[in-house]
Amino acid sequence: MGGAGESIIEIDGVSKMYRAFRALDNVQFDVRRGEIFGYIGPNGAGKTTTIKIIVGLLKDFGGEVSIAGHSVRTDGVKVSQLLGYLPQQAAFQEWRTVDHALKTFGRLSGLQGPGLESRIKEVLDLIGILEFRHKKVNQLSGGTVQKVGMAQAILHSPEILVLDEPMAGLDPASRYMFKRLFEDICRKDGTTILFSSHILSDLEDIGDRIGILNGGKMMHIGTVDDLRSRMKVAKEIDLVLSRTPPQRPPIESIDGVEGVEQPEENRYSVHLRDGADADDVMDGLLRLLSKSGCRVRSASPVTPTLEQLYMRLLGGGEA
Amino acid sequence: MSLPLLFMDELKGFYKSKVMLFLWVGLPALSILLYFSALDTGGLSLSSMTAVVVGSIGGVLASVMLVVSMVGERERHVYDLFVIRPVKRRDIVLSKFSAVYLCVATAALLAFVVATLIEFAVDGSLPARFGDNALDFFVVSFSMMAISCSAGLLLGVASPSVLVGVILVIYGANQLSASVLLPVMSYSEERLFPLVPGIAISGALLLGAVVLFNRKQL
Repeated sequence: MGGAGESIIEIDGVSKMYRAFRALDNVQFDVRRGEIFGYIGPNGAGKTTTIKIIVGLLKDFGGEVSIAGHSVRTDGVKVSQLLGYLPQQAAFQEWRTVDHALKTFGRLSGLQGPGLESRIKEVLDLIGILEFRHKKVNQLSGGTVQKVGMAQAILHSPEILVLDEPMAGLDPASRYMFKRLFEDICRKDGTTILFSSHILSDLEDIGDRIGILNGGKMMHIGTVDDLRSRMKVAKEIDLVLSRTPPQRPPIESIDGVEGVEQPEENRYSVHLRDGADADDVMDGLLRLLSKSGCRVRSASPVTPTLEQLYMRLLGGGEA
Repeated sequence: MSLPLLFMDELKGFYKSKVMLFLWVGLPALSILLYFSALDTGGLSLSSMTAVVVGSIGGVLASVMLVVSMVGERERHVYDLFVIRPVKRRDIVLSKFSAVYLCVATAALLAFVVATLIEFAVDGSLPARFGDNALDFFVVSFSMMAISCSAGLLLGVASPSVLVGVILVIYGANQLSASVLLPVMSYSEERLFPLVPGIAISGALLLGAVVLFNRKQL
């Protein structure tokens, strides 16, 4: 067991071809022990391919992938003991009950006896599907099957969880529950989580670091704040006035203000210069508005969301 | 060792499936039907005739079931959650084959018992060459079913769709399993000869299925 912060998943120059199509092109990143790593990218970017390589479902690829120092190519058994995996759409043999499916996966992962029984109950209770324990899988809704998929992934308390779009198809309450669950098992148990998602707000909420993949190439690895700095997205102050005087005060004259836009009546976007202190600008702004007889309804600094950064990164074609 | 666990699992899944229920009831019923249809069996006893029919029909049904099950599960990526665990891929296919084969062989055995009971009830005694008939039954029907099931397994692993797999298995497996009867026709006194093509062909097909499943990207 290594220390927190060290690399536990290492992806080194991984490439993958599907006939003439290059799905992954020299992808390189690492996931650190005990972190939640969000993996994002548009459809067809190569996220699922990367995940399938990590969990050992795809063997035919270029480069090297290691899990806690074990190569996925040559040390598959050791790797499989460390991993829990939830695919995009978890599927089970339809004749199985939830209990039967979990017992089989538990035994295959080395659990047995009363310990397995109690662990199944604990996990189903944690995910909120204990009442479905003796139902057949083909009688369950898609969302509940996905929760059974989550149950099998965490059943054997793996060190690393690899989740491919785990919250796709879940209702808002279930998504919230999944996010809390991820945080719990990561922060309390020290489980490392790599998960891909299209729901950027989810990644922003719980991801420690993110990786953005596009067209099989890695576009960004780091925190959302790193991305903000890298994209040099100007900070803004969103200003709403309840009364606008006939002549707008010269906001541009405030030190640190680059420009002003008026997206709608009585609302202004005050763009700050790179390196400007938002608090100083806010102070100057409020003084000016007060002196000019404006009545301020609200004024708040705006931080660009991951979604805005993501769209800008992909739209700008920055590599 | 995941094979025994997977085998017991598959057995639980197959023995109460609709196709297997049909075989459990249908194959013994076929014996009765054969007797009352008063077919010209060319001197074959009812139990021997039952062996050929049961081996053929039971084998084809079991092989179709294997193709449908394997292609469907492959398409839905059911095996992903197995192969990411410390499970040998060969155990997945061999457990499926063993479970289906055991089920269909038991159904065939039931059919033989029913055929024998009918002969006993009608004639008041067991047939003159009961031991030979029983051996014929087991050698022929079990060999035919082994070939059909292993062909079903191979096509289940290789086939791109359920439809293609079912068409191929109905035509191919049936023809292939009939090869068991060739030694019966040529060397009628060598009762164990049908085991030779039975074991050789099923072994080759099983090996093909295992190798293919090992290499396949799921």
